[in-house]
Amino acid sequence: MQSKLSDIELIQQTLAGDQGAYADLVKRHQRFVFTLAMRFAKVREDAEEIAQDCFIKAFRSLASFQGQAKFTTWLYSIVYTTSMTFLRKKRVATDSIDDENTFIQVEETASAYDINNAENRSRSFYLNQAIEQLLPDDAAIITLFYKGEQSLEEIAVALGMEANTIKVKLFRARQRLKEKLERNLKHEARELI
Amino acid sequence: MNNMEDILWNYIDGNCTAEEQKTISNLIAGDEAYRLKYHELMKLNNEFAAMELDEPSMAFTYNVMEVIRTENVHVPLKATINKRIILGITIFFILTLVALLVVVFANFNWAGQKAPVNLSLGFTMPDINFSKARPLLEGFLFFDVVLGLYLFDTWLRRKKLVKQA
Repeated sequence: MQSKLSDIELIQQTLAGDQGAYADLVKRHQRFVFTLAMRFAKVREDAEEIAQDCFIKAFRSLASFQGQAKFTTWLYSIVYTTSMTFLRKKRVATDSIDDENTFIQVEETASAYDINNAENRSRSFYLNQAIEQLLPDDAAIITLFYKGEQSLEEIAVALGMEANTIKVKLFRARQRLKEKLERNLKHEARELI
Repeated sequence: MNNMEDILWNYIDGNCTAEEQKTISNLIAGDEAYRLKYHELMKLNNEFAAMELDEPSMAFTYNVMEVIRTENVHVPLKATINKRIILGITIFFILTLVALLVVVFANFNWAGQKAPVNLSLGFTMPDINFSKARPLLEGFLFFDVVLGLYLFDTWLRRKKLVKQA
């Protein structure tokens, strides 16, 4: 059962030496942090490593959390920087982070994935599949906006960008997601026929 | 960003002013193309909002807390030492050093002759013959030099580790 205390109260208890309070904080945010890490890493094991690293980093710097922004905004900024470092280390990103070709391979793999189970797939499956095919930045912005309860300004703080840039990126990301979703559904319809 | 989709996304996200909102509402109500697009985008918006989050492994929280606990086991050894103990040890060594200096100066033969020093503290300093204690002093100095080098080496290694991290 999760704690009913607010994030700030749990942080205060953690700083007072109660590690159980921090465990509650981890339980509360682990799904979202993990999902966000998945948007960058694309592989479960890597995403879990990133997410774990983020919570450990957050614990170490908890005393420096000023409380001016939401705890989640602060935490997601850690997820973003940790994920970017991870991608750089894996040599997936740097110059090619905005290069759609990098993810063609992922796209092809995802399209061919598990064709025999097509009838069991829900619309949410196709949505997740389409998100996986997006660029990491686009996928992260969509996830933060729709599931992270973050405003455009908060996303801008978390990703270290201007709010207007985030707004433009969100429009483009939604457009790309819509196209990919339609393409995947058409592909699936052909498979069923 | 002024095509129909951008305008409608702005409207759906609630990023419009009250006046813009009113204008777009009228457009949706009166223009068939806007109405159809609005419904299409709203459907997408609802789908995006209903996306499911991924679930990490069952042991995720445990793993995180285990790393934190392991780190904290090491920290208290450094962090929980009472500063008063450190201060006490410092004072003890300072007093010892001062006493040693007093003894040394009190027994030092400045003019080649022994100069008894009366500290007016009601006692006379003990007469230590340094010529007899020379091997002891040399051994003590040698030990100090080795200890100093060892500590300097430890400090350099620690610095190197911090730099690598």
